[in-house]
Amino acid sequence: MKSKRKTGFILLCILPTLVIFAMFIVYPVTQVFYKSLFSSSGFGSSDQFVGITNFIELFSDDVFIQSIKNTGFLMLVVPVITLLLSLIFASMLSFGQLKEKHLYRTIFFFPSILSFVVIGILWAFIYHPNMGIVNEIMKVMGLDQYALTWLGNPDTVLWAIAIVMVWQAVGYYMVMYLAGMDSIPKELYEAASIDGANAIQQFVKITIPMLWEIIRITIIFSINGVLNISFVLVIVMTSGGPNNSSQVALTYMYQQGFVNANFGYAMAIAVVVFIVAIILAFISNKLTEREAL
Amino acid sequence: MKSFVRKWMLLLAVLAAILAGCTDKSDGEGSAESDGDGKLEGELNVAVFQGGYGGEFWKQLAKNFEEEYPGTTVKVTANPDIGEMIRPKIIAGNPPDFVYLNQTDPSGVTQGLIKEHGLTDLTDVFEGNALDEDVPLKDKVLPGILESVYMSPYDDGKIYLAPYNYNVMGLWYNKTLFEKNNIETPKTWDEFFALNKTAKKHDRALFTYQGTSPGYLEEILIPAVYSLGGQEALDQMLNYDPEFWKSDVAMKALDIFDKIASKDNALMNGTVALDHTQSQTAFMQGKAMFIPNGSWFEGEMENAPREDGFEFGFLGVPTFDKEDPLLALNSIEQVYIPKGAKNPELAKEFLRFMYTEESIKLNGELAKASMAIDGASDLVKEYLTESSYNVFKAVESGMYSISGNFAPVPKGVNVNPREVLFSQAASIMNGEMTTQEWADKMYGVYKEVQEKME
Repeated sequence: MKSKRKTGFILLCILPTLVIFAMFIVYPVTQVFYKSLFSSSGFGSSDQFVGITNFIELFSDDVFIQSIKNTGFLMLVVPVITLLLSLIFASMLSFGQLKEKHLYRTIFFFPSILSFVVIGILWAFIYHPNMGIVNEIMKVMGLDQYALTWLGNPDTVLWAIAIVMVWQAVGYYMVMYLAGMDSIPKELYEAASIDGANAIQQFVKITIPMLWEIIRITIIFSINGVLNISFVLVIVMTSGGPNNSSQVALTYMYQQGFVNANFGYAMAIAVVVFIVAIILAFISNKLTEREAL
Repeated sequence: MKSFVRKWMLLLAVLAAILAGCTDKSDGEGSAESDGDGKLEGELNVAVFQGGYGGEFWKQLAKNFEEEYPGTTVKVTANPDIGEMIRPKIIAGNPPDFVYLNQTDPSGVTQGLIKEHGLTDLTDVFEGNALDEDVPLKDKVLPGILESVYMSPYDDGKIYLAPYNYNVMGLWYNKTLFEKNNIETPKTWDEFFALNKTAKKHDRALFTYQGTSPGYLEEILIPAVYSLGGQEALDQMLNYDPEFWKSDVAMKALDIFDKIASKDNALMNGTVALDHTQSQTAFMQGKAMFIPNGSWFEGEMENAPREDGFEFGFLGVPTFDKEDPLLALNSIEQVYIPKGAKNPELAKEFLRFMYTEESIKLNGELAKASMAIDGASDLVKEYLTESSYNVFKAVESGMYSISGNFAPVPKGVNVNPREVLFSQAASIMNGEMTTQEWADKMYGVYKEVQEKME
């Protein structure tokens, strides 16, 4: 009896949260799943139930397959490079005990506070085939044959976008790792040096394990970040071109929904992306699971 | 614990059901009211896109209208994201009475409404007389426009969208360069490609286009198809007849792009990667001889850097036969009255009012544009940039302007044929695709559309 009353009280307390959660998360998400079974132009009045037709068509849609491949590529490449670089930079700043530590921290963090649209425009000019700084540098170094149309060539465009995403995010994760490193007790390192461990051994045996929980979180953050940022960068820098070679899942969803007015089909894309993202998060969670120290 | 979870899931389900009920109810509402009572009073909600033409014209037009029709109030909402703003209202059965969205509006509202058959029939407005003249309004509109798929999307002889501003598109060049060096503007595609040598001599490429927005290439493709196969071939292409892509006309028209890609540096280096501002700037700085664009070009690039003495010259589009007149493509901005508008009669009167001479002048003054009405360009001459006035004049004096808009695709078609068509251009320009592969791909896409149409 007593415990029942307690549960009642707890329920009462979390009720507002549950209602808000239901209204703004559960309801929209179920709606997306539901509407993906319709042929819809977005006005609701003549939606037709088509079952899983949208999904069947998705998997014979070359552009969709291309966009999923591109998204997958970015989700693999960008987090790995970003997190590795952030770790390296963070440990350099943390161990080097540089005087200019705070200056570097600010400089590295700077890209994270710029708007994605600004970043996109900025880098579109950096990659500009005729007046961009990348090609100018290539020419100065005598590498004329490598002065490419970075964003206009299907072989280079995805890497070009991946580099921007890494550049944008490195500082953010670096600051997170720095904070984590500061909280590792110094005694551990002192003890290790007395035992004769060098800097790299200390990094691998102490820093990484102590940071592991933060790293796990940042992996998931970073994978999800790729999903979002790639949308804006692709829209601004290439519009998905040339010939869909830089199309990502969300830009294609946007195009189907808002340009072609095929909302049911766009919802189907959203469902697939949702499922893929959940699976990826799950896998990375499983893979990085470790017993607590 | 299990029962606890179950209880809450049940509650959530009920909640979701209630919420779902809220939205479903609104569907289809409002159509009952769409008949209106025909009285010319009450409130009119006008939703307009605020872009290159600004929003001032509409606000002033509303004031003039209110003065002319006492007892009416016109509420104008002008916003760059107007499409997104009105979508929920339309879904909720409470649409604005009068809508202007621009041709390339990214919200897809106009496309969606056309697909849904969600527009009010405007045929009577154009059959009836103009407000300030004793002629049917349709006789004042530039020829061919009301019948085009822009205004009459279903091929049923009825007009659902009304023309507003008018644009002409084709190839542009630097007038000063051509006059100084006695270069003649090309009349045919052969002459055009022959200019490649001249271009090299002046240290520039022959051609560039708005790389990441390859849709601009329709300003070349559509006139080219017309030049080769007339209206018949053009209708085939715009109405998704797959056989079109097996025809000589299609191959010859696509060949233009192949030639640009394969001729010695005819395409400006890096074009595919540039957005419209970057390529247009490069053109004005003398990196290329020709670029496709519309009559808004000079206004759009007002503050862009340019080479010394640069002057906008409009050439139109070359043809395949020297005897034919030069061609140009036109595009017309649309206004419409959604089905379910509260006061459609008043909205129609507002539309008629928009076509009076006074309003046309007002539009010229405040939006710096010319409506698709006979003689409008002369009425607003003083407000237009010199080049755009010349473009309109060129069309009035012999250059043939074509209306070419792809027919709306039926519901359930998940490809956008126009988009597929032009996104392939990048692969042609990069040398990764042949025109034959391009045509085959389009054949497949058209086949798919065709199957859903039946």
